[in-house]
Amino acid sequence: MRAPNEIDFWRGFALVTIFINHIPGIYFERFTFRNVSLSDSAELFVFLAGCALRILVDGAARALPAQWLVFRLEARAFHVYVAQVFVTEMAIALLAAAAFLLDAPYLLDWHNTSAVFNDPVRAHIGLVLLTHQLGYFNILPLYVVLLFIAPAVALLHRYARVLLPLVSFGIYAWSLISGVNLPTWPVEGTWFLNPLTWQFIYVLGFLMAGADGIGGFARRHHSVLRWLALPVVLLGAYVAFTNFSPDPVDVPEPKLLFTFDKTFLAPARLIHSLALAAIFAGTFKIIRPWIPRSSEFLCLLGRNSLNVFCALSLLSLMGQILRFIFGGYVALDALIVILGILLMGFIAWAAEWRERLRADLAKKPDLPPHSSAF
Amino acid sequence: MAAPHAEDASVPPVAPPMSPPCDVPAADIAAPATLPNVTQALQKGEKVRILAIGSSSTLGWGASSKSRSYPSQLEVILEHALKGVDIVIVNRGVAGEVAEDTAERIKSEVALRKPDLVLWQLGTNDALARVPPQDFENTVRSTIDWLKDNRIDVVLVGVQYTSRLTRDPNYVAIRDSLQKIAAEENILYVRRYDAMRFIAQRRANLQLMASDNFHLNDLGYQCMAEHVAHAMIVSLFVKRLRPIQN
Repeated sequence: MRAPNEIDFWRGFALVTIFINHIPGIYFERFTFRNVSLSDSAELFVFLAGCALRILVDGAARALPAQWLVFRLEARAFHVYVAQVFVTEMAIALLAAAAFLLDAPYLLDWHNTSAVFNDPVRAHIGLVLLTHQLGYFNILPLYVVLLFIAPAVALLHRYARVLLPLVSFGIYAWSLISGVNLPTWPVEGTWFLNPLTWQFIYVLGFLMAGADGIGGFARRHHSVLRWLALPVVLLGAYVAFTNFSPDPVDVPEPKLLFTFDKTFLAPARLIHSLALAAIFAGTFKIIRPWIPRSSEFLCLLGRNSLNVFCALSLLSLMGQILRFIFGGYVALDALIVILGILLMGFIAWAAEWRERLRADLAKKPDLPPHSSAF
Repeated sequence: MAAPHAEDASVPPVAPPMSPPCDVPAADIAAPATLPNVTQALQKGEKVRILAIGSSSTLGWGASSKSRSYPSQLEVILEHALKGVDIVIVNRGVAGEVAEDTAERIKSEVALRKPDLVLWQLGTNDALARVPPQDFENTVRSTIDWLKDNRIDVVLVGVQYTSRLTRDPNYVAIRDSLQKIAAEENILYVRRYDAMRFIAQRRANLQLMASDNFHLNDLGYQCMAEHVAHAMIVSLFVKRLRPIQN
């Protein structure tokens, strides 16, 4: 178990925020930071994923030969892919059970699930290919794609460092200018979070987390960047508060460059999320003494982000079903949030407890080998 | 289909008669409202681009084929009624989506497709997700205002009539909220609930729903397309009697 650190802390914060934001209409949604921010927790989560990759590549995986690095990263990508398929199937079963028990067939429609029940042959192929995604279950598919390209990011960084930001930016700009996005199938449409553009913030997270290059530059000039970021963050708060959004009719082509589009991670959202990173980077050491237990808790969530993400996806869906049954009351919303966050904490704690137990058992050679197979 | 000449466009369009199973009084469908951007496109003899967005009723779950979804049928009806006009309807329905998420997609789709009109079918999923009507109203209003600022016409297509939900307070509140928004924003609102209830009460032997008693069947989608077409064409006709406001 690694010591509490800034990335885990903010990742934990993003996970709690995503949990609340994934329950439409919940009272406490108004207190999440997207109400005073142009970008939201999705950008934060992907940026931090890039940071985490860099820490791995520069740390534990530094000495690995290229082929083993690729193997390790692809194994991780496959692990997350399996988690995505599993959690999606659990969500489908949850909705099916609720529809069955409550005699509410309309629940089978929620979050784009209806294709699974109305067009099961094609929908199941789509689920495995990630071309059929459930609403609110569309961050993990993006994360899977980003992890599958992680070896390319790591190898470019290792062997052609200058090319990495250029290639990444080139793909981002091309997708923004052309409007190209990955298609969904069998339901005709496009990905809610376009991997062709969102890879850029992942790569920026990777670059910023390094001690050299752009990351080194950002560290050396952090105080200046923080001042530069302040008006951007304030402007983002004003935009969110006033619900302002540029009019595509009035902006020049290519229009996606000038809008606040989330699907394509429009430049305004990207710049805003980087400004947020500049403002809040380094604040963990200030925040931690003020709220030590909460900080520890958020770091616990962040350290176990995949388990917690899977859990929160299902917990938010359960919260939606509870709200459907009992109505959207503040007291129920409070219960959902408190129980949900506690259960996320329990999932993270259980994952670490299992790791500790495994480590303890490994230290006791007199035990039979199968006793560590939890 | 070729675009009409300007002189052809000066002929007031006539709302096509509704088929006997779908026929309901015009007052049960919608109050006419102006569609200035579509009118202008028709007068210039340009193609009319429509973005149909919403949830499963837009996507067409329950229909026997894609061509039986309401946007597909609406395209045929409008092209037939507005002779010589090229109507292109893009279907961007996502089942089970709440208005807040659709509003996000509308902004992407508008930036990419620059439609003349957005047909936004909404409400049912917000009611089921217990989204507070005030939050729902804020989302819909801000999106309508944004579309108006972009000189894009908007038609709201309301919640359907289903006996299961007639006494659900959230469902009623969201339905009323849509009515209020449309009246205050002065936009066309297709009161699907009233039209379907009329059919259900007067022609009880007609089945508009699929076997799950929630999604529409082919006939249900046909009626939905006819009602939306009727509301749009009547509104275009009303518009012709008044000066264009932009």
